[in-house]
Amino acid sequence: MFARLANGNVAPKRVIEGQATNLSRTMHGIAYDAIHDEIVIPVALSGAVLVFKADASGEVPPLRAIQGTRTRLVRPHTVAVDPVNNEILTADPSMRAIVVFERMANGNVAPKRVISGPKTGLLDIVGLDVDPIRNVIVASSRKGNGDKVGLFVFDRLANGDVEPKQFIGGPNSKLAHFRQVAIDPATGNIFLAQQNTRMKQMEAYVLDKPREGFKAKDDDDDDSDSGHLDTMGFIAVYAPDDNGDVPPRAIIKGPGIRLAGAAGVALNPKKKEIITVGGNGFQTFLLPDFFKPLKKPGGTAMIRD
Amino acid sequence: MRRIFISILAALALLLAGAEPSPQASAAGDPDLGPYATLDDLLAADCVDDAALAIAQAAARLPQTGAPTARTLRGGVEEGGVTSDDWPPHALGGVIPPIRSVSDPFPTFDGVAIDTVNDRVIFSDENRHSLLVYERTAGGVSNETTEPAQWVFGPKTKLGYIAGVEVDPARREFYTVNNDSGDLLTVFSYEDHGNVQPRRSLSLPHQSWDVSLAPKRDEFVVTVQQSNALSFFKRTATGTTAPIRTIRGLATELEDPHGVYFDETHNEIITANHGNWTQIRPYSPYDPQTTEVGEYKSGAFHPSAITFHAADANGDVPPVRTIEGDLTGLNWPMGIDVDLTRDEIVAANYGDSAVRVYRRGDKGNVQPIRVLRGALTQIVGPVSVAIDTKNDELWVANYGDHTAVVFPRTASGNVRPKRVIRNAPKDTPTCGFTNASAAAYDSKRDEILVPN
Repeated sequence: MFARLANGNVAPKRVIEGQATNLSRTMHGIAYDAIHDEIVIPVALSGAVLVFKADASGEVPPLRAIQGTRTRLVRPHTVAVDPVNNEILTADPSMRAIVVFERMANGNVAPKRVISGPKTGLLDIVGLDVDPIRNVIVASSRKGNGDKVGLFVFDRLANGDVEPKQFIGGPNSKLAHFRQVAIDPATGNIFLAQQNTRMKQMEAYVLDKPREGFKAKDDDDDDSDSGHLDTMGFIAVYAPDDNGDVPPRAIIKGPGIRLAGAAGVALNPKKKEIITVGGNGFQTFLLPDFFKPLKKPGGTAMIRD
Repeated sequence: MRRIFISILAALALLLAGAEPSPQASAAGDPDLGPYATLDDLLAADCVDDAALAIAQAAARLPQTGAPTARTLRGGVEEGGVTSDDWPPHALGGVIPPIRSVSDPFPTFDGVAIDTVNDRVIFSDENRHSLLVYERTAGGVSNETTEPAQWVFGPKTKLGYIAGVEVDPARREFYTVNNDSGDLLTVFSYEDHGNVQPRRSLSLPHQSWDVSLAPKRDEFVVTVQQSNALSFFKRTATGTTAPIRTIRGLATELEDPHGVYFDETHNEIITANHGNWTQIRPYSPYDPQTTEVGEYKSGAFHPSAITFHAADANGDVPPVRTIEGDLTGLNWPMGIDVDLTRDEIVAANYGDSAVRVYRRGDKGNVQPIRVLRGALTQIVGPVSVAIDTKNDELWVANYGDHTAVVFPRTASGNVRPKRVIRNAPKDTPTCGFTNASAAAYDSKRDEILVPN
């Protein structure tokens, strides 16, 4: 945990770590519940979702842990919290599913709803957020061949094998290798962190067996913060009703994003700040216009300076 | 030292350039960079003084108007074009500098291996993606950065978020493992320095963490976190060569394995485990949505443990013994080493910033025979250890501080180190990131939360 105004090479104010926390050193998501003052974290390597007091520090146990056979969780990667409807949502690329639990769920409990199946188009789900005002769930998911690589928007109460109500992706979107999603609750604007514009590289192994037909590429550094300038990542912003193969309505790109790798994005709507994280650092951008309703491209409100 | 210092200055210059609240960058491209140059190319360039200048210029001048774009990738997605001022059309924003930027421009020590034949010590640097090689006698009481003898760094090296390191004194080679970004084991020579290609590389399962050589068998073993496995390869394996055997499965008790030691003397594999376990299924964007996944086993939290497997084990084989339990004090044990002359196992115990020593033959819930811990030790978030039986020393690589600390081999308690090796000036903070990829904002405390 860092002070919002942290700048430069600084140590965190506090850290939650150690055996008693049940965390691991591999975690790809986090959500803060401002109403109940809790932190929600998925632990991919132990198939669990943990909830901590937001002021926790050091080696402290979680308040609650969702884990066990009834949960059906395998490797949850990303989380969101809906404090209005009292739900915790997680996305699990190994389940190919979005899984919804009661916010107070603890232990070996069954999910309330599971969005999964061929109609959903979900595969490698790496980002997730929920908008309790517009009643939608937005997930970022990737399929390796470029088909169905993008943002999937579902009704908040969707359950089972259902089609998304909106999908943003395709060549014009330049969406390829992205991760975290964040929604501004006031406007419904959807923020997405994209690491770079190359498709996620194929991994050499499937489980513990070499992948058939795999060929290592020379240029295989697609996860790092050292991407080429011509394929650098960005923060893309969409209006809540965007759909199809459309470019972002607002964007942050350039050296600052490149340093971050833009794998994660978080919002501070009160201060109109956007926090991007990736690689081994994070950056903060001050962009009040990004927290206003986004007009259609070509509209008079569009500013490019 | 000069190279590191100047490159760090260059990185700082880039951060500062990015942090300036300057107008949008839209000037013509820098002819010295070329449209496809990378900042890492510049960082790794031999002429680092010029590189530092070029990096600062690059940060101020991106994007490069008129740069070639549009190479078509799978699925028709175009590569490039993002830097163009024309994309996305009619959009808010563009090239925008951050108002604040948090990162650590210095190396951080991760793995450590010692070669007492050639008197060298090799560290992996997870933060800057480099390998630093020091003289065995390096370090002291200085508050300044310790000068490495070699530094392997740059895009040609294919070093990503590297973790464990190993050394082969006979062949004058050193190994490291990309834990994330690249899934490679890379091997370098003692003659390698700067931005060089590895002498050979081998594709590994994702989240491999440590490597240990078995010279007599001409093999090495790697730990794999996500599949809770030990994979064995011939020493000379390259490319996509498959493992010669793998220990994996519920019976193995391998749970989020990290450090590993191939004990050829006693024909055992000794592994440090964090205790996290979950099933692995095909998960990548290249695997099908529905697969035959077999019986579902839910995730579990177990205590940290040190497991011992027969060196010839293959498949879902239980350990021959395990050190585990409250008395052990094991808490996220990372790298381990074995002192064959004293018959001891030494573990870097990250969770309580300690080094814990056990008898090699211990099993069950046993207390360590020595613990090195406390403020005087300067051990902070240790990630690896190396024992020097020839010179009677113990090396500890700190991830939570920009140091490695060297003790007498049997040091115990809260004692000062003999020497300190610094990869940054004394009291330089470290952010502690390891490929962080998500964030949240805590509105009550006005804090930024980053999981690692």
